[in-house]
Amino acid sequence: MIAVNYLGAAVLFCLGLYTVLTRRNLIKMVMGLSLMESSTYLLFISMAYRARSTAPVLVNPPKGQSGTQLAAGNVADPVLQNFCLTAIVIGVAVTAVFLSVVVRIAQHRRTLDADEVRELRG
Amino acid sequence: MVLTIGYLRLLREHAGLPAVARQAMEVALPQWKLSEPVNEVVYGTRGFDTFGETFLLLAAVISVILITRPREPRRGYFGEEAAGRREREEVDPHSGHDRDQEQAREAEKEEAGEPDDAVGGVRSHRRPETPDAEPVGSPAPERAHAMSVVVRTAVRVAAPVLAIAGFYLVAWGYSPGGGFPGGAVMLGVALLVYAGFGRQRIAPVIRPGLLEAIEMSGAGLIIAAEALGLLLKGSFSANWLHLAQTGTILSGGVAQLFSFGELIEVGTGLTIAVFAVLGMSHDWTPDDGEDQDDRGGGGSGSGSGSESGSSSSSSSSSGSSSGTSSGSSSGSGPDSGSSSSSSSGSSSHSASGSTA
Repeated sequence: MIAVNYLGAAVLFCLGLYTVLTRRNLIKMVMGLSLMESSTYLLFISMAYRARSTAPVLVNPPKGQSGTQLAAGNVADPVLQNFCLTAIVIGVAVTAVFLSVVVRIAQHRRTLDADEVRELRG
Repeated sequence: MVLTIGYLRLLREHAGLPAVARQAMEVALPQWKLSEPVNEVVYGTRGFDTFGETFLLLAAVISVILITRPREPRRGYFGEEAAGRREREEVDPHSGHDRDQEQAREAEKEEAGEPDDAVGGVRSHRRPETPDAEPVGSPAPERAHAMSVVVRTAVRVAAPVLAIAGFYLVAWGYSPGGGFPGGAVMLGVALLVYAGFGRQRIAPVIRPGLLEAIEMSGAGLIIAAEALGLLLKGSFSANWLHLAQTGTILSGGVAQLFSFGELIEVGTGLTIAVFAVLGMSHDWTPDDGEDQDDRGGGGSGSGSGSESGSSSSSSSSSGSSSGTSSGSSSGSGPDSGSSSSSSSGSSSHSASGSTA
């Protein structure tokens, strides 16, 4: 079942890569990068999953279990979920920088076509 | 390759937790009194990771500020170029009386819906002070600087709830939540109010000076919280606070403090970045000068000063600028296409194209 997640992550990544490689619109290239980033999130979360595990949350443990028992039991990997959080923040930062650069390019060159901003002038 | 790696990782579904994760799970309750291991990992055991990530975000915000920086310092994100223009008119009344430029400025002002008091207020009687004073049923949402009364009422209800929810996510750190989602929710509140009420209502709060100061204080708080662990307990991001009972607000100790600093940092940082990009206006002021710089650079590369001079004059007389010139350079003939490898060649061709 979790194989679907891995396949989905791979498809998302390839879709993003395809967008970055084939589109010339700079905004679409940034969107492709975001797509690739989101595939990383999916991959991290899927890697954290264990068969029939619960979320690594110890609030309100189910009946007959204490928090420490739950912690020793079958839970998803919290470290990989932490990595996913980190990746999200870094993705936001990267996207923000890229978008501001794209807006500046659009203002200076009056175009979003990556082919037209190839000369290094001005 | 990605697929094969993924399928290799599939084996992990039945593997045990790695030692790091197992240790994080076991340490969370007794040592940090946090019932949320992910938060414990983020702000506790892997605090150094998050520390570096925070300053990566800070670096990104600073670079966004630098990239979007206007030519002259401004106090707000929007609308202050009008004041700068007035000043420029006083100092140098003959600059920028180009007809096309005037038209472009008018159109831009129209689009932006700027308060006109800075330039003399021709249309100021059309706009009441607050959007709520506008008569209901007046036309043109595209002219109004705020959204309709339905949206405004909804924002009034939703924004406080959202703001409280953002703080809740951080304060109740023993359940899923934390500084990053809380900060993102804060950005959502700012954007919601901006969309509903327009820029004038948020301008006293959302301005670079204030936000940047808050952001830096958040960064200072994080550094202090982590470095004090190094000083008092001998290791970076060690807990030096009293740990309250599990299930209370202060149960995480330093982790909660770090989380709160992260809320400030992420909330203000994302707000700065978004509003810097939103308020990024093209500074029309040195339009012709900029073109001169462009062409001058290309012309000096080709080594003929007279050509660069003629190209700059032609570009300033034809009010349209570099986008069309690059278009004409690509369309001016097969020879420009053949000489496209050198930038000086293409610029001279663009000059000939725009004079012809």
